[in-house]
Amino acid sequence: MISAADIRTRFRERGFVVDDAYATGLEIMLALQKPLLLEGPAGVGKTESAKVLAEALQARLIRLQCYEGLDSMSALYEWNYPRQMLHARLSESSGSSLEQREAEIFSDAYLLKRPLLEALTQDQAPVLLIDEVDRADEAFEAYLLEVLAEWQVTIPELGTIRARHRPHVVLTSNRTRELSDALRRRCLYLWLPYPSLAQEIEILRARVPGVSEQLADRIAHLMQVLRGLPLQKAPGVAESLDWAMALMSLHREHLDARTLEQTLGCILKVHEDRAVVDEHRAALEPYLSDAPAALEAGGYGLATDFGIGTATPRP
Amino acid sequence: MYPFGDLPGNLTAFCAALRREHGFGIGPGEIADATRVLRVIDLADQQHVRHAWRAILSNSRDTAARFDAAFDAFFFPGPAGTPQAQQPPLSGGKEQPGTAGDTSGRRPPDGDPSADVDPEIELEGARSAPAVLAEDSGTDGEPAGRWARSNYSPLAVEGQEPILLRPVPTPWRNAARLLLRRLQLGLSRRWEPARRGRRFDLRRTWRASLQTGGEAVTARWLRRAHRSPNLVLLIDGSRSMSAAQQAGLDLATAVATVTRRVEVFAFSTSLTVLTHHVRRAGTGRRMRIAISRESWGGGTSIGASLRSFLRRHGERHVGPETLIVIVSDGLDVGEPQILRDAMRELYRRAAGVVWINPLLDTPGYEPTSRGMAAARPFITTFISVHDSAGLARLARLVRVRR
Repeated sequence: MISAADIRTRFRERGFVVDDAYATGLEIMLALQKPLLLEGPAGVGKTESAKVLAEALQARLIRLQCYEGLDSMSALYEWNYPRQMLHARLSESSGSSLEQREAEIFSDAYLLKRPLLEALTQDQAPVLLIDEVDRADEAFEAYLLEVLAEWQVTIPELGTIRARHRPHVVLTSNRTRELSDALRRRCLYLWLPYPSLAQEIEILRARVPGVSEQLADRIAHLMQVLRGLPLQKAPGVAESLDWAMALMSLHREHLDARTLEQTLGCILKVHEDRAVVDEHRAALEPYLSDAPAALEAGGYGLATDFGIGTATPRP
Repeated sequence: MYPFGDLPGNLTAFCAALRREHGFGIGPGEIADATRVLRVIDLADQQHVRHAWRAILSNSRDTAARFDAAFDAFFFPGPAGTPQAQQPPLSGGKEQPGTAGDTSGRRPPDGDPSADVDPEIELEGARSAPAVLAEDSGTDGEPAGRWARSNYSPLAVEGQEPILLRPVPTPWRNAARLLLRRLQLGLSRRWEPARRGRRFDLRRTWRASLQTGGEAVTARWLRRAHRSPNLVLLIDGSRSMSAAQQAGLDLATAVATVTRRVEVFAFSTSLTVLTHHVRRAGTGRRMRIAISRESWGGGTSIGASLRSFLRRHGERHVGPETLIVIVSDGLDVGEPQILRDAMRELYRRAAGVVWINPLLDTPGYEPTSRGMAAARPFITTFISVHDSAGLARLARLVRVRR
């Protein structure tokens, strides 16, 4: 029996910061063996947390990526038809009876297991991640409901296959489509918002080990301000991690206006958002430090001298 | 304060209160799970219990946001922060805990019909629809946890306006069917079986060949499925529109009769969801329902309402298969910039935007008011509809972006 505090520690060891509500949700998911539905804006770490959960439980991660047009066959199983037909042709003259040949053709060797069936036939309870379930359509949701309820699958040729160990199921949704009530009722529900200031600083320091406290603080403050602006695509935690790593790789310890301008592509992914950020530049000013003193006066403003002294690019 | 002395009893009462007053959908399964989880979590830690029950009893973002307030209101009705152990002991009889100021009007008194109620008019009972959420104050991010109970009553209550929803005659329904048929959105990426198709279906052919001894005699085919359109209707309920409102409501009812993929909203200064009622009216019930004056009969603030629609429902309902239909006269008192931004967003994300303006019929009308001018570039079909013939005309003229 894994407690919430235990989960938090294990996640923390792997560099993933979770808050109380989240840890409790995971705890009761493991205790009640119900699926967990994670909803939230894009980029807050829903998929990532399922991966870390698999590591923390030392279980295998099986991932079913949903897309529009996903049908139950692609998610469950498929017979290897070309191989079966080939076998049937080749064994035509072998002299075995019809039942024998049928048993050969419809055997495990010719069964292509897709994620759902794979999750049912594990020796140890795996973590089944059903990613972006809102992208699949309603027909697939209804099918998923049945599988999640019964944890058994009937393959006409092989019989009923029951799960020996119930998988731990995590569903994620980006809310591009409203999920059906029946699916919601079957799952535990967690809404994952953007992290708070303190949480974000903690996440930055856990995931980007070399970042200084001051830089993490500034990044977190700036992200809070940016998320408050009317952007079309608000930056998530993934974007702040990318930004921190970009700043580290550029060796920029100070976040000034110029650096912000240069690295804006790490945070904003829509062209119109740049105009919005420019409009609200005043709100960002308090968190930007002044430009470093060693800036080139007449040119590109190189903050480095390439180790050979002051370098001026040829005009 | 609590009806029962033991925790499972209180839990059941809490769930009943959630269901009755806050519109949560909680069944016996959820109550059983919430009881089971009590064995696992630390009962002394109130936060732990709260998190655990929130994960089980809520099932959407709205309900998760409302859960905390409901939890506090039930278990800690005293001053905030009073621990449970210090609450006064239970008083014996089963009193229903509820939020403070829980007054009448929540449901019509049983067995006591008012004398002047027209028997034709269906009375809306309590809690048959999601609560009317008040407009949040313009902060991005979490929706306001505030929740305003909607009081449905046959008598007009202060701050309420009655609107009439009635089943529509056949010409309306035929015109609505025509509209849906004309909304060709093209093909989706899903393959479905068909008699004649472009793609060979190996699996079904092989399956069928088993009947003929392993020889594939008949070929099975697949073709791309058609994308079905969704419709979103936003009906302006402000005072300036009073003459044309009934036509808008009839249009909504007609469309709701022929398809389930429709959402209906009413707005004036704030937004109300009417989908459920319109669907019931479409099945043949004539109803008079009361909605708050912020959504009917007040001033007009189209931009703010559209923005609120986009923020709260936009992710779910506005997609590349959606046709947005706005029924409004465009006389807006809000900022035209807000309206322009909202319209641009709708135009960008939806398959088409239809604006139904009753003023178009008056001779010499030009859409030059601030609101109309701001919205005009983003409208794909601009038309006026008063009756079923108008709807048929819309069906012929509508254009969508594939």
